[in-house]
Amino acid sequence: MYGLLQAFAKWLEGTPWGTGVRTSLWAYPFTQLIHFTGLSIWLGTNLALDLRLLGLGKRRETAAELRDDLFAWNWIGFCIVVLGGFLLFSSTATTFLVNVAFRWKLGLFVPLALLWHIFVQWKAREWGATQDAPAIAKFSGLAEILLWVCVITAAVEIPYH
Amino acid sequence: MWEALEQMGWVKTFGSTGWMYASVSVVHYLTMFWFIGSMAVVDLRVMGVAARKRNLTELSAQIYPWAWTGMVLAIISGFLMFLTDAGDWAPDRVFHVKVGLIVISIVFAILVQRGAPKWAALPEIPNSAKVIAAIALLLWIATILTASEIPAMEGLG
Repeated sequence: MYGLLQAFAKWLEGTPWGTGVRTSLWAYPFTQLIHFTGLSIWLGTNLALDLRLLGLGKRRETAAELRDDLFAWNWIGFCIVVLGGFLLFSSTATTFLVNVAFRWKLGLFVPLALLWHIFVQWKAREWGATQDAPAIAKFSGLAEILLWVCVITAAVEIPYH
Repeated sequence: MWEALEQMGWVKTFGSTGWMYASVSVVHYLTMFWFIGSMAVVDLRVMGVAARKRNLTELSAQIYPWAWTGMVLAIISGFLMFLTDAGDWAPDRVFHVKVGLIVISIVFAILVQRGAPKWAALPEIPNSAKVIAAIALLLWIATILTASEIPAMEGLG
C-alpha cells in the first residue's frame, strides 16, 4: 500500500503540473494563492455556521438559515482548496509523503474534520430551526472549530519536520 | 528602531520558543481565513451570486461582526509575528505592498458593510454596489497573493 503511494507521489512529481509548480519562479506563490483563497471561503463559511450553532455573536439568522445561505460557496471553496492543495502536493509529493506533520494533517485531521463538518452541516437544519440550538449542536460546533485548529496546527508544523 | 523592537526580552522569548510562535501562526492563519471568507460571502451576495434568497441586510448584519472580530485577531497575531523579525520586515517592499493592500481592503470592507442596508432597500442592487463588492473581494485575493510572494521573492517569513 505504502509502496503504491510512493509510486504515485513519484509519478505526480514528474507530471507537467508537478514539475511546473516546483521549477517555475512564479507558479508556487500563485498555487498557494489558490489554496489559501479556497481555504478562506471554506473555513470562513464553516466557522460562521459553527459560531452560530454556539450562539456567539449576532442572531439575525438562525443556524438553519445560515447553513442554507453558505452551503453553495462552502463547497465551491472546498473544491478550490483541493485543487490548490493537489497542485502544491504534486510539486514535492515524495517529500510531503515522509513528512510527519503532513501525515497527521492529511492522514488523520483532514478526514476527521471533513466528516465532522458534513455531519454538522447535515444536522444544522434540524438543530438550527429555532434561535437557540441544543447543547449537542453547541458541542458539535465547538468540536468542528477545534478540529480545524488541529488541521492548521499540523499544516504550520510541516516546514519544521 | 525596528531592531530594538526585535531585541525586547519578551519578543526574543516569543520568537525563539517553538510552540509560542507556532501557536500565534495558527491563530494568524485561522482568523485570516475566517474573516476573509466570511466577508467574501457578503461581497458575493452583493454581486448577486451567493445566498440570493436571503435579504442582504440580514446576511451582512449576521456576518460582519464576526468578520471584524477575526480581523482584529489576525492583525494582533500578525503584528506579534512581525515583531520577532521587525528589522527585516519593516524595510521590505513587498511587505509594504501587503500592508497597503490591507488598509485599502479595510476601507472597501467598511464601504460594503455601510452600503449593504442602503442597497438592500432599493428595488435592485445597483451596479456601482456590485463593482465595489467585486473590488473588495479582489483586494483580499491580492493581499493573499502578496503574502505568498514575500517568502517566494524575499525569503522572509
